[in-house]
Amino acid sequence: MTLPRSARHTLERLGHLLLVLWVVASLTFVLFRLMPGDPTLNFLSPSFSEETRAALLKGFGLDRPLWDQYLIYMSNLLHGELGMSFLQGKPVAVLLVDALPNTVILTLVSLCAAYAFGIVAGAFLAFRRGGAVEAMAIPAALASRAAPEFWLGMLLLAALSFEFGWFPTGGALSPGQELAGVGARLVSADYWWHLALPALTLVLYLQGLPLLLMRATMLEVMNDEFIVMARMKGLSRWSIVMRHAARNALLPVVTAFALGLGASIGGNVVVETVFAWPGIGRVLVQAVQSADYPLAQGAFILIAAVLVTMNSLADLVYSALDPRVSVRARR
Amino acid sequence: MKRSLLAFGLAAGFVTHAQSQPAGDLVRPLTIVAQPQAASPQEYQAAEMIAEAWKSLGLDVRIRPLPGQQFTQVVWYERQRWDATTWQMVGRPERSDPDELTYNLFVSANAANGYDFVGYNNPEYDRLAQAQREELDLPKRQALVREAQTLINRDQPYAFLVHPKNLVAFNKTIWDETTMVTQAGIGIRNFWTWTTMKPKGAQKDVILNSTAPPTNLSPFNIPGAQGSWATELVWDRLMRIGPDGLPRPWAAEAVTRPTPTTVEVTLRAGMKWHDGKPVTIEDAVFSLEAPGYGDKSPMYRPFVGNIAKVEATGPMSLRITLKRPDAAFLVSSLSKLNLAPKHIWAPIFEDLKTKPETAESIMEKLPIGSGPYKFVSVKLTEQVVLEANTEHWAKPNANRWIMRITPNVESTMGAMKSGEMNFLTDYTGDPELLARMAKSSPDIKLSESLDIGFRFIGYNERRPPFNDVAFRRALSATVDREAIATDAWGGAAVPANSWISPALAYWAAPDIVKQVPGGTVEAARKMLKDAGYVLVDGKLHYPAGVKETTAVFQ
Repeated sequence: MTLPRSARHTLERLGHLLLVLWVVASLTFVLFRLMPGDPTLNFLSPSFSEETRAALLKGFGLDRPLWDQYLIYMSNLLHGELGMSFLQGKPVAVLLVDALPNTVILTLVSLCAAYAFGIVAGAFLAFRRGGAVEAMAIPAALASRAAPEFWLGMLLLAALSFEFGWFPTGGALSPGQELAGVGARLVSADYWWHLALPALTLVLYLQGLPLLLMRATMLEVMNDEFIVMARMKGLSRWSIVMRHAARNALLPVVTAFALGLGASIGGNVVVETVFAWPGIGRVLVQAVQSADYPLAQGAFILIAAVLVTMNSLADLVYSALDPRVSVRARR
Repeated sequence: MKRSLLAFGLAAGFVTHAQSQPAGDLVRPLTIVAQPQAASPQEYQAAEMIAEAWKSLGLDVRIRPLPGQQFTQVVWYERQRWDATTWQMVGRPERSDPDELTYNLFVSANAANGYDFVGYNNPEYDRLAQAQREELDLPKRQALVREAQTLINRDQPYAFLVHPKNLVAFNKTIWDETTMVTQAGIGIRNFWTWTTMKPKGAQKDVILNSTAPPTNLSPFNIPGAQGSWATELVWDRLMRIGPDGLPRPWAAEAVTRPTPTTVEVTLRAGMKWHDGKPVTIEDAVFSLEAPGYGDKSPMYRPFVGNIAKVEATGPMSLRITLKRPDAAFLVSSLSKLNLAPKHIWAPIFEDLKTKPETAESIMEKLPIGSGPYKFVSVKLTEQVVLEANTEHWAKPNANRWIMRITPNVESTMGAMKSGEMNFLTDYTGDPELLARMAKSSPDIKLSESLDIGFRFIGYNERRPPFNDVAFRRALSATVDREAIATDAWGGAAVPANSWISPALAYWAAPDIVKQVPGGTVEAARKMLKDAGYVLVDGKLHYPAGVKETTAVFQ
């Protein structure tokens, strides 16, 4: 019995995905243990003795041989167990699930806003090529793309928060506020008020890529024969730009969106740190700083899983948007 | 004439006394290991200043920054490997008694794998440290502690640098500044302030910052400096270190020491756990015994190491029998051990018997204590929210105590200005910036206080030439502590020459900072010359006959 080609392709991709995740899981395991020292170094106190340290290591399971630790780790991973955080005393999965929605919301809101703006602005700039607007807009887009995120974030904080007091300086909620669940956060004005500045920073940072990509692709597409044909048919400029040119120009932008989504989940470390946004990026930084191996491993695996999944999704979406890019065509 | 020529030559730093003195091997390049500049800019700048001063003695000195964990690993667990290191001891209330540092830092029994990581070994000092530990007569103990400081000044196992100042700020339109309590060596960020500070208006929540998240909050875990601010509010202790730096009864109504090895405690009546159950004498006995159960509470176990027996002697009283006299017991144990509810923790310890985990890793969903504040919610990476325990005998005047975790210091300063926060408790930035903020914002009051802690350069006495007292004394003599306090710490520190801060005036040896040997580069050169070290073409050599056999730090 032979599988249909599309099923084989999907299985192949799934295999690749699992392979990548295994490599990432193994690398994170090895890398943390290659670092000099161990997590007990974070607790040094004059009252500590060698016995104290040995007891702590035993409690963390770090007294076992490395291969034994690895086998336990992989076996747990296969069972969906990410272990317990050394420092927080809670299951890693609980800590990640707690932080993930904040990162996803920040990423989705920023990416959607950045890409919506970038696509429209890119199409507009391609359409108005050579004008004064383009002369100002392109350097501005390039500058915001090139500016480091932390710098943009600090500028926005200084201006809109410290100086004018329009936005809070950090966190996801006002001091003392507590909201359980994603739903409660999404309908909370306080949450959105705290989201505004980190999201704006990311929008400014991210919009450059879709804008320039859209503009470049549009310029290419506008010279294609089918656009000439559309003009000859007497279609309106709006219809030509939006219905014909833009749809074709969207393909690379959509790919960039999917990849950007994956990358941003793990790449918001800087913005989350500047704005004390309680997402995966901050969890990762704190876990690495304190050598909280299970938490850091869990965060890395989650980020890798999201990234690999988004790559695969980008592939599928690409095929759906452009039937020429199919399994058959690629063969 | 000859002397003045030599002095001139020494001052110019290029004299060769090889003609008059035979020289040993060239001293190898020496390395100061330090945290990276980004992690501790003040410390790094101090290391740079010291390296320059040492170079003027004809030494080849380099600084090797190491990332946090590696730094600790090298200094702590690879004790044969490094030459000199920057290090710090932070101020904690329990260090108000000099015993912990006096004993741990320099007693030779701690050299192999304890806190005497520089390998200082002096039987005379060991005797003094043990004697002060067992001396219950305060003036006699004071004399012993001061003698120990004089001895360390003579031997210079460290180059003490500075005692930093604590910098905190609060909004004085929200909090009545006259109700802040200054604790000796700690400043106004302390337990007493959190319970006594009075709000001026409708805002009754104290909102403070922490740059790092606390670890697991439990009565059997030491959750870092910031986490301890919360745990000491939630869990009562039989005694507490008072604002004067001395232990005083807290959850105990009375504590007496009828014999050098016996402590009698009377428990305060009417106390309740946050779940409404009464605090009993069994709870108190359990709290003193539990850290000693097997290896399930490694962090707190050392604090009960000297306890031979704890027994209830009445419905509200207990007796502690010590293995040996311990002058610091009231501070280092009774003011440190948390009262934990037996009905919650006894089953946990029972359960842990068959598991590899320790009590440190266990965190109740909403931890239960009996202290003046109780937990409302805990998100270790976001915020810790406590509310006033209105049934406590020392009921706080604030409504809630909210610690926000904000790694970005600039954000925290902005939050202070905007009123989002009203107590800046954890400031790691430039002191000048903070002073400027306080000046430009009339609502914000800056508070400075001298810390119990200190910064220093540790010399590895296992490695020549640091095993030579004369060499160490000469190096220490070149250190310009005033300049380090002013330039590296921006004035937010005072010069140090002891592990006991002037903030603990009773224990600090008077004027010890003026007794640093030598005190100038010229004096240091003379000390080296007198000890037989020789400058050859501006490079320092060992005394005649001494070979360099130690490897350069890589």
